[in-house]
Amino acid sequence: MTTAHTPAGPHASLDDPGVRIEDILRESIVEAVPVGRTERQAEFYTLRDGEMLLNMGPHHPATHGVLRVVLKIDGERVVDIDPVLGYLHRGVEKLCENADYHQAICYTDPLEYISSLFCEWAPVMAFEKLLDVQVPRRAEYIRVMATELNRIASHVLTMGFFALDLGGITPVLYGFIERDEIMEMLASLTGQKLLFNYMRIGGVNGDLNHDFLSRLGDWMSHAARQIEANAGLMNENEILVRRARGLGVLDGDTCLRMAVTGPNIRASGLPFDVRRSHPYSIFPELDFDIPTRNEGDCLARYLLRVDEVKQSLRIIDQCLHQMPDGPVMAKLPRLVRPRPGRAFAAVEGPRGMYAAYVISDGTDQPFRMRIHDPSFVHLQLVTLLTPGNLVADTMAIMASLDPVMGGVDK
Amino acid sequence: MTMAAVTWQRLRPVGRLLAVLVPILLALGLVSVGAIILAGPLAAGFVGDNVPLVRFVAAVTAVILLSIPTAFIVIFLELKVIARMNLRIGPERVGPYGGAMSVVHGLKVLAKEDFTPLGVDVTVFTMAPIVTFVGAIMTMLVIPFAPGLFGLDLNIGLLYLFAMSGLTVVGLLMAGWSSFNKYSLLGGLRSAAQMVSYEIPLTLSLVGIVLLAGTMSLNQLVLGQSGSFLDWNIWKQPLAFLIFFIAGTAEANRTPFDLTEADSELVGGFATEYSGMRFGFFFFAEYVNVFIVSALLVTFFLGGWTAPIAWPFAVTMPSLDPLGLGVGLLLGIAALPVVGTLILAAPFWLSSKITTLQALVIGFILFNVVAVGLVIGYAFVSFDWVVGLFWFFAKAYAFVFLFIWMRATLPRVRIDQLMGFAWKWLLPAALLNIFVTAAAITIVSK
Repeated sequence: MTTAHTPAGPHASLDDPGVRIEDILRESIVEAVPVGRTERQAEFYTLRDGEMLLNMGPHHPATHGVLRVVLKIDGERVVDIDPVLGYLHRGVEKLCENADYHQAICYTDPLEYISSLFCEWAPVMAFEKLLDVQVPRRAEYIRVMATELNRIASHVLTMGFFALDLGGITPVLYGFIERDEIMEMLASLTGQKLLFNYMRIGGVNGDLNHDFLSRLGDWMSHAARQIEANAGLMNENEILVRRARGLGVLDGDTCLRMAVTGPNIRASGLPFDVRRSHPYSIFPELDFDIPTRNEGDCLARYLLRVDEVKQSLRIIDQCLHQMPDGPVMAKLPRLVRPRPGRAFAAVEGPRGMYAAYVISDGTDQPFRMRIHDPSFVHLQLVTLLTPGNLVADTMAIMASLDPVMGGVDK
Repeated sequence: MTMAAVTWQRLRPVGRLLAVLVPILLALGLVSVGAIILAGPLAAGFVGDNVPLVRFVAAVTAVILLSIPTAFIVIFLELKVIARMNLRIGPERVGPYGGAMSVVHGLKVLAKEDFTPLGVDVTVFTMAPIVTFVGAIMTMLVIPFAPGLFGLDLNIGLLYLFAMSGLTVVGLLMAGWSSFNKYSLLGGLRSAAQMVSYEIPLTLSLVGIVLLAGTMSLNQLVLGQSGSFLDWNIWKQPLAFLIFFIAGTAEANRTPFDLTEADSELVGGFATEYSGMRFGFFFFAEYVNVFIVSALLVTFFLGGWTAPIAWPFAVTMPSLDPLGLGVGLLLGIAALPVVGTLILAAPFWLSSKITTLQALVIGFILFNVVAVGLVIGYAFVSFDWVVGLFWFFAKAYAFVFLFIWMRATLPRVRIDQLMGFAWKWLLPAALLNIFVTAAAITIVSK
């Protein structure tokens, strides 16, 4: 199959009416085997007997965005896997370095578009550290409440897509019901439905309003029951449980070695949560648990998200009850020029530690801005976990790790 | 500008359509009348000489024609029922409750480009949908839909059935191999592995029924189950019913066994490279297969066209002899609609303030409803095959609903779980079923 076509006779002219372009093309179809640029690539693209390369993506229904995965398969079994990134690279960090501090926030919004409030929060918190601004307590409560809502919206979607990648079509649509309610709610709070652009340096864009609170009250009255019922469709499904249990097991040591965070590390038994380990905002005052599971397989990673949704509901409930009065924005000069220095801030996003590292040179624009995205870290696990499993398991493992390509490619 | 051109320009679209269609239909009518007069005696002689051949051709044509509305209905049910189960609305714009949605799908597929990608094996690529489609619908030839209403009463009907459903695998494998696409190849290989494995428990599960009934003719199998619902095979062979249901789901490539076209893994499986009507044939075959598996389940285990409870009272209708009425028949045909419409319109005309025309329209609609109801009711009590058709389709579509329900609920199994289930559980269970049935027959007959 890999023999290159060498025309034996003189080259046929396309002007000749007897020659059809299809025939020439058909003869010249050559399987393109890329030459490895690195040692690892050279090893990957060397096929042994019975092996075949399967190109999955960037337009594959199961790769969650524009991820391209090259699978080396032997029959149905995956021998090796090579994720190819960069199809969604927009240069967000560089863009942020050419915008002033306020403008940079809206560039970070569409990174993790599933949960964009967290993408705003981490850089905003870093900017606040640079500027040494004290955020009003009411603003902190509103931030926590809005982000926890966003976390639930992200988790219900992840749970649904996990089922979708395993072939079930209904759970994702049930998940979208919850997500839609939350998005409507946040739209009435922030004014936008997907990329909220709600966080500001020193506070939030607007105070709570009646529309948001009445929607939230309605939703909170049935949220726990509804999410439990939706999860029941998956948890009690023998096929799904049998496929996910024991698949893609991730142990604690590997987690630490690969810098895994978020639900994926907690499903492996390590209770690392930025909200508790490196407390920020008002989380030290709130009462909530860090759920962990010990199995570390796909099922544990899925179930842990169900547990986290319940804890998020607890946090929202406490925020509603303890919400103080006061302003939602700190007093700031019109043009922010932080002193030269550097700041690092991390928040616990739905996928793990979401962090921003900012260097200021004293101008009104960040000198350097780096964003740590958990999806990028977790995508590396696919290479570790997938080989040895079947093609169908690749999707299950990727869905349970839950990478969002917007954040991976930045 | 000539007279004809002016007239053509002044016509509305409907008028233009009629202006084209009416001459064509007239010409066709004249030609066919002429053909009947000229070649009628010849054809009648041929038909009289070759009754089995004519019957076979007629049966095949009927089966092909039946497959089209069947596929449309099953596709519409799939769209609508899954939508309802997902808390969506589903199709609702085309036709009543979106009923014509699948017809529009069919037209769309017909209108699309018939595309052959570069590098495919053109002959095999073209043949594959045909093989799949023919293999699927020819299975319907031996299914008894009602007493006396079947394509062929083969005495080896069961064997014919499995031979034909085996053809489907060949078609899918051809599609997977010839497409020059790795997803198609994987899908084709999966379908070969899956369907060959599940054909074995599928076939073996019916051996018990054949042992009990002593025949392989589907018609005889149904006749053997007549009586009440207690005589159905499902009570005598519950294990075989379960095995046949599971293996049949796998044979029809339905969730949770739809690995061949797993959209989240293999994009479209064997059908990835197909478009237009070639894809339409695969699509048709898939949904006709759902109906066929349901029909086979009903035929083998739920008494086919027999009613669940035998009607306890003998119904004897007065036999109508319309020809005996002579001129009265003509008068009746002419007068009955008018008189009926007037009688039914009278109460509305008398009681409310609507106009005479409105009352007449209501009366006309009511007359039609009553007339159609009476005709169907008369047919139901006087012809066995109408009752048989009713029960057969009612039971078959209940199973179609069950398959759609499963599709909305269940995720997909993995290929190793799929194969393991077939060889480790279904096959031993089918063998056990044969053993127990044979032993019971031996003991009872001694």
